[in-house]
Amino acid sequence: MSIPLKISFDKGTLVLQNVPEALQSDLPDSRWDERTLTFRAPAYRYRHIVSQLRAHNIAYQDTARQFTVESFRHGKSITPYPYQTEAIDAWHANGKRGVISLPTGAGKTFIAILLIADTQRPTLVHVPTIDLMHQWHAVLTEHFGQEIGRYGGGQHELQDITVTTYQSAVMHAPHYGNRFGFVVFDECHHLPGEQYQYAAISSIAPFRLGMTATPERVDGKESRLYALVGECCYEAKVQELSGKTLSEYRVMTIAVEMEDTERVQYEEARRTYLSFLKQAKINMGTSRGWHTFLWRASQSDEGRAAFKAYLTQKQLSFASTTKQEWVWKLIQRHRGDRMIIFTQDNDTAYQIGTRFFLPVLTHQTKLKERNDFLNGFRDGTYSILVTSKVLNEGVDVPEANVAIIVSGSGSVREHVQRLGRILRKREGKQAVLYELISKQTGEHFVNRRRRQHHAYQTS
Amino acid sequence: MLTKDLLRYKIKSGKISPQFVNPTDEQLLAVADQLISVFEGGINTPRATLLESSKQIIDSTPGAPIVKRGLEKLLLDRTEFDTAPNEELIAFRQKLFTETSRLLSQKQFQNYEDYQRTVLDTIAEGSRPEIAPTRNEAGAAESRSKIAPTGDEAGAEGSRPEIAPIGEVELGAKLYADLPSNQPVLTFNTLSAERLLHRYNAAQVQGLLLHCNSLTLKLSDSMTAELRQLFKYLRFNQLLSTIRKEGELYEITVDGPLNLFYKTKRYGMNLANFFLAVLHQPKWELAAEIQFRNKRVSRLSLDESCGIKPISQQFLAYIPEDIQLFQTMLKNKTEDWQIRPGSQFLPLAGDFYCFPDYQLIHKSGVETAIELFHPWHQGHLIARLNTLAEQKDVSLILGVSKELEKKPLIAEALETSAYFSQFGFTFRDVPTMRSLLPILNSFV
Repeated sequence: MSIPLKISFDKGTLVLQNVPEALQSDLPDSRWDERTLTFRAPAYRYRHIVSQLRAHNIAYQDTARQFTVESFRHGKSITPYPYQTEAIDAWHANGKRGVISLPTGAGKTFIAILLIADTQRPTLVHVPTIDLMHQWHAVLTEHFGQEIGRYGGGQHELQDITVTTYQSAVMHAPHYGNRFGFVVFDECHHLPGEQYQYAAISSIAPFRLGMTATPERVDGKESRLYALVGECCYEAKVQELSGKTLSEYRVMTIAVEMEDTERVQYEEARRTYLSFLKQAKINMGTSRGWHTFLWRASQSDEGRAAFKAYLTQKQLSFASTTKQEWVWKLIQRHRGDRMIIFTQDNDTAYQIGTRFFLPVLTHQTKLKERNDFLNGFRDGTYSILVTSKVLNEGVDVPEANVAIIVSGSGSVREHVQRLGRILRKREGKQAVLYELISKQTGEHFVNRRRRQHHAYQTS
Repeated sequence: MLTKDLLRYKIKSGKISPQFVNPTDEQLLAVADQLISVFEGGINTPRATLLESSKQIIDSTPGAPIVKRGLEKLLLDRTEFDTAPNEELIAFRQKLFTETSRLLSQKQFQNYEDYQRTVLDTIAEGSRPEIAPTRNEAGAAESRSKIAPTGDEAGAEGSRPEIAPIGEVELGAKLYADLPSNQPVLTFNTLSAERLLHRYNAAQVQGLLLHCNSLTLKLSDSMTAELRQLFKYLRFNQLLSTIRKEGELYEITVDGPLNLFYKTKRYGMNLANFFLAVLHQPKWELAAEIQFRNKRVSRLSLDESCGIKPISQQFLAYIPEDIQLFQTMLKNKTEDWQIRPGSQFLPLAGDFYCFPDYQLIHKSGVETAIELFHPWHQGHLIARLNTLAEQKDVSLILGVSKELEKKPLIAEALETSAYFSQFGFTFRDVPTMRSLLPILNSFV
């Protein structure tokens, strides 16, 4: 009697024993491992390997798979919008794999909930931040009425439906990567990162869903995303849904003049910084430009002065006195509205929070206060939140209808995500996004580049 | 550990060389001493003040700033800050923001100053003692319990507290006084200046190993307890190894399970931690390929002549507890066998080797060895059973954790292994003599 082929799970990989010689070259990505004298394959190839074995009619013993079919009950009866049904159908048609690309506020979470209920497999939801983990936990608890696990931010509770952060999954997927049959990657444009990809590689889950508003990456690694999760199977753009399932919105750019003294300081700092770049022959337009600048700046007194000048001119364009005056004007203009003020860095956020006595939410805010700020903002206790980047992604604040971008990076994704914070539909809601741009500074050009994105084309 | 911007290295003809400091350099030792003094004296000091003091030393002493900032980083790694939430300040903010939100939603202000005055007046109002910070504040680190007066302070018989109006500057300094820059130092794990410089050199290597896929070690087999510790580190860091003999040296390739498919730096941190055990070996050669993002691969070659002293704790001077327990249990049952920590490589089928946990010596001179497999050694155990299935001339006893035995694949592998049925046993926490002695006696 021949010994059956065995598949087991080992630290994010599959160990294959007794592989018939005829099959050895046919199993996707499997290789002989002389450290353990077995064949081995990355865990995410589980579905392909098992399909191959079945196709060859080969009996196998599977101890890798540690999940079964569940009977999740979706307790709420909500009818999906037509585009949500289309997205769900497209994912099923794609073999229960793939990426769904929808703008923020279009109900991606709801689609995932319906698919968890459809798929009926233990599910691991990956999110980029702790805030999102708690938010998903609350929504899933409400919909499924059962214990939902959390893994990350000091919590280590695995349940049949669990939410984890990407960071935590990279660390722990080698241990639990065989317990889930369905993996969901929220804000999945993060997944192709050098480390984050191992959250997907180390899991055997045959069913995979990625969700994002912007799958494209500057580094072009979205192909890696599609290899690990499945092709983009459904996409809708923000203008297609604006006014229907998303709020109507306007984007207003306010060009702000610096005060004379700040302008003088800005020009002087900028001159020092640029002349160092010229003298050291550093091209900031290249991918290594910033690293070269940091390195060269640390090598001499002149370099250190240039770095200081760089920070000064940046800080002045980010948070000039005139910008703060505009913030005050807009706060007054939007009395009774729910407003988020975004900044590029924590210092500016705390500067604004301290000046106007407002709650500031950054990664430094402790969990309890973070929840208080978010819940207070949702229920109207606080009408304004100041934040640097933690609200850029995913966190659901549907009540927000005004956003002020005091400063930001040049990233189109960041601005589209910030816009997304105020787009969730509410009856009669008109969302407004203000961008404060310091005139005649680097910000001006960054803004011009950003505005080429389709999300800006309605304004 | 050091971050990439603090690493010092040179790359020439594809070879990467860490730029070590001289641990006997008096000038650098003096700087290290000054930095250590700042950290030693920094208990209860806010983080920003501590960093300001250390920056003064970095700016005012001779030597490369990058080295001094590296030393500062290593000292910061040994410093614990008070990161507990400041509940009173959080409660103060909650009340203040509720109030400011109400004001901003409901009231039209003439200008910002009008708003500011209204907020300050509101705080100072005796009718709202709960949101009033006290005046007498001497620094952020002492801010706790001074934000809001308690009920007792507010007057036992309901009288209004005497709270002077608070100024804008004062409130501004207080509002977010619990940010990390204001967190006070709780403890600092001090060390000597010389040890700090050795730690710095080790951190230079570790910083490079974070960017490698795998490393290769060459060791002689003349060492004993040091090697045992090395293999403990290897297993503790969830790494895999291939051991081969090359001339008089053993060549050990260390990496992780996924290295078979990807040139991944996934195990960089594990390899960097593992390096600390290498430093305990009297003679070693290390080779690794280092690759920074979007850069070419560079070769790192190091041996014991780099002069870095071991910086992790060494447990060779005493007999580990498990061995002591094992020894006592064995002595209680029999005088015929002596137990020692594992001390040499054992050749296996092909050109593989293993490094057993214990050596057992019978009074007749017969020797055998035990290799223990804990719950995290599943992959190792499968490999060992596969190897031993083809081995006829080895004297190795396998001890397998009952936790590991619970896994269906392992249970079946053990059941079907002729070798294990003859030379294997299972254990819960430590091996028992009841299961071990019959196997031992079969050797004599």
